[in-house]
Amino acid sequence: MNGRSGLFKFFLFLFLFVIILLQFLSMIQSDRLYKRLDTIIRRLENAPTTRTAQPQQEPKISEAKNLPMAEVPGDDGDWLVWRLSAEPRTLNTISDERDVYTTYITGGSIFERLLEYDWDEVELKPWLAESYELSKDGLEMTVRLRDGVCFSDGVPMTADDIIFTYRTIMNPGVDAAVQRTIYSTFKDVIKIDERTVKFVFTEVLWKTFEAVGLFEVFPQHIYDFNDPAEFNKHRSNPVGSGPYEFERWDVGQQVVLKRNENYWGYKPKLKKVVFRFILNDAAALQALRAGEIDFTEPEPEQYSEMKSNKEFTARFRAMSYWQPGVPFFYIAWNETTPFFADKRVRLAMTHIIDREAIVKHLLSGEAMITTGPFYIFGSQYDPNIKPWPYDSERAKQLLDEAGWIDHDGDGIRDKDGVKFSFRLAFATGRVFYEQLAKLFKDTASTVGVEVIADPYEWSVFTQKYRKHDFDALAIGSGGTVEFDPYQYFHSSQIAGGGDNCTSYNNLQADALIDVARRTLDPEKRYPLYHRFHRLIHEDQPFTFLYIRPEWRFLDKRFENVIEHKLGLNPNEWYVPRDKQRYK
Amino acid sequence: MTIYIIRRFLLMIPTLAGITIVVFAISRLAPGDPVSLSLGPGGALDAQRAADVRAARMHLYGLDKPVYVQYATWLGRVVRFNFGDSIKHHRPVIDLIKERLPITLTLNLISFIIIYAISIPMGILSAVGRKKFIDRISSVMLLMLWSLPSMWVGQMLIGYLCGPPLNWFPSAGLSSNDAEQFPFFLWLSDRLWHLVLPVFCLTYAGFAYLTKLVRAGMLDNLRADYVRTARAKGLSNWAVIFRHAFRNSIIPVITIMATLLPAMFGGSIIIERIFSVSGMGLLAFEAVTTRDYNVVMGVATIAGFLNLIGLLLADIAYAMVDPRISFESVE
Repeated sequence: MNGRSGLFKFFLFLFLFVIILLQFLSMIQSDRLYKRLDTIIRRLENAPTTRTAQPQQEPKISEAKNLPMAEVPGDDGDWLVWRLSAEPRTLNTISDERDVYTTYITGGSIFERLLEYDWDEVELKPWLAESYELSKDGLEMTVRLRDGVCFSDGVPMTADDIIFTYRTIMNPGVDAAVQRTIYSTFKDVIKIDERTVKFVFTEVLWKTFEAVGLFEVFPQHIYDFNDPAEFNKHRSNPVGSGPYEFERWDVGQQVVLKRNENYWGYKPKLKKVVFRFILNDAAALQALRAGEIDFTEPEPEQYSEMKSNKEFTARFRAMSYWQPGVPFFYIAWNETTPFFADKRVRLAMTHIIDREAIVKHLLSGEAMITTGPFYIFGSQYDPNIKPWPYDSERAKQLLDEAGWIDHDGDGIRDKDGVKFSFRLAFATGRVFYEQLAKLFKDTASTVGVEVIADPYEWSVFTQKYRKHDFDALAIGSGGTVEFDPYQYFHSSQIAGGGDNCTSYNNLQADALIDVARRTLDPEKRYPLYHRFHRLIHEDQPFTFLYIRPEWRFLDKRFENVIEHKLGLNPNEWYVPRDKQRYK
Repeated sequence: MTIYIIRRFLLMIPTLAGITIVVFAISRLAPGDPVSLSLGPGGALDAQRAADVRAARMHLYGLDKPVYVQYATWLGRVVRFNFGDSIKHHRPVIDLIKERLPITLTLNLISFIIIYAISIPMGILSAVGRKKFIDRISSVMLLMLWSLPSMWVGQMLIGYLCGPPLNWFPSAGLSSNDAEQFPFFLWLSDRLWHLVLPVFCLTYAGFAYLTKLVRAGMLDNLRADYVRTARAKGLSNWAVIFRHAFRNSIIPVITIMATLLPAMFGGSIIIERIFSVSGMGLLAFEAVTTRDYNVVMGVATIAGFLNLIGLLLADIAYAMVDPRISFESVE
């Protein structure tokens, strides 16, 4: 017994010793990591020397006496028939994982947010909130709700609804993993009184304030649930505080919204908004011309063909505008393959993609070559960085320098017995990518590189992206008003199928991203993003192809159609009584 | 006959099980999965959270278990008539089918009635007037129609008939925007007007096939001895053709009918996509592309069951129209 007890004690001590040793080693490792990071940050000119930047400003108090949107002039009545190219699976914006079609229907019409971007100044301003105040350390934000806000069923909105919405999103059983990421810096939301809540954050990030703004308030009395699965299944009959309320959903056909006659703000003039689901682009254009729909998003070819058709433009507005958040398109180079680990090779690839020809011939000139992921007209984007030109001679030189030489004379370069023959993955369904692959294949062959087009059905494509199982892939991503490059380019996002799908690993980039996202003062933040922009321009983890404007066709009977910096706001439109089509 | 039907019903069980095993295996072996799809590519989740969410969802949908366990779980549910929930929609599969089935049934019922109403008389006319003008012209016309791909025809119809200047038909959907406010007959005519082009695309290829079948069957019988005897007895041409020849030519028509049930359930992916009609075809297509396994299995199982029922009904109909076919030997 004694012998066994001694053995037991020995193993217990050994176990404790190992744990303490591991803890000690991990502390040293952690210290080393911080030291390295600090060294890099110090090397960066004008960069703050502390890792976690504190708010560089006095507590911010913002108050809204008037709404950012003015009262709409013009006659009351008529409907807007808006074409969607797919049917959303739900109108519950929490459990939709940000389906763009759900957002089209409910955003700004049914559900409203605490803060909204001003349409022209593109700045977050109070909306459902009357005012907000940021604490000095930047870790607390107190929001006071506007008085007199009711949901469309007449029930007043209170602090409890804000807290309910937050708790619902954070409930692990609710299908809202993406949103939970957006709110990952939220520690809690506390009720102060019936109209006041306090958001408490774990760290200071500029995105945190955008996240407060993105908070769509759900009424507790409608959406309260016993089981999260019950909430996930609540797909129809959305109730919010917005200027429109849900009327009906004809499955496969349309969703109809009617004006919320008891809306707390300025009421829109249009009585109904009908979202018609038309999957076929050609059919949608014909439906527009036949007067069955009023508003649609055309394909590039349709836009460039119809905008110069006088008969068409006499009846319809053909609009092209650059709104913040327009998607950017790129080719990602997987640095774990033998081809793209060397940045000279990635740069060579950029030199043999004729982006001017792509914009001119494949996009009818209706796009711009971009050099980074930021909004091209925004403050994050450095306009001094010029796109690498199409230059096959420079590409040959770079490939030679990187050791990719045609040793066996078969017309394809090789290195260490590996031929420079790689697969360019893209999703099927868009003709653009097929054309891009062909064009790239042709230009690459002139420098001795073989490109094999590798189209995949979307579900397989997403799996390949998540597993980082590709050589190169062509894709487009939705941008935002201000873009955080963390998930795409930070080295911490490589493992576990993260969004850094190219395995781009640059400590300098990591440091810039880390510091910039913790810098609240835009005047100090933008130069950091400019430096990051220049860094990825040199490193080329992605070849940024182009950014394109939004295109819309709209029936000319609608008036007060303003192209804001943020895009179009249908809540401002009206139809003169003599031109109204629907009663 | 009763024993035969019972035996056929019992045989359906292993056949249906075989169908479900094959569909289940194919759906699971195909690359791509619903979890990667729901996470999507690009900037929404940090790496650790993506991995956690992936693991949680794989567990939630039971995809972390071996395939045979997944199949057994699914089978256990289906015998209790529960097809499970759609992964994409978070709703019972049966509810999704109930929503879309009426749309597909409307389209297909109308199409089948039109196909039969036109093809049978045309087939008879062609056979009776063999090698005459009517036969030749109908053969050429039908062959032309048969060879036109419905996707192309649909796009052409939309391009030329739906917009200005003709503006004859609507290009998408099943009713006008304000159809809710119409009185019943106006609503009905609006609905029928919307159905014209999709129904046309669903029917025109069917004309050629069925007409050819009826014509061939009629020709065989018109040359037969019993028809000559009937004519010799002095029966009228009408009586010879319909009472004798046509009755014996109807078997191929019944064979086609056997496919009617599953086709009505399955819908047409191409036509539904072109004319934005959200029926069973689109549901099945969407389910396959989004790897919504429960919907794929639900649709495949019901379609498979209806196929087997269709075949059984066809066999019974054979016996009813042709006394030479007997089930006695089988029994």
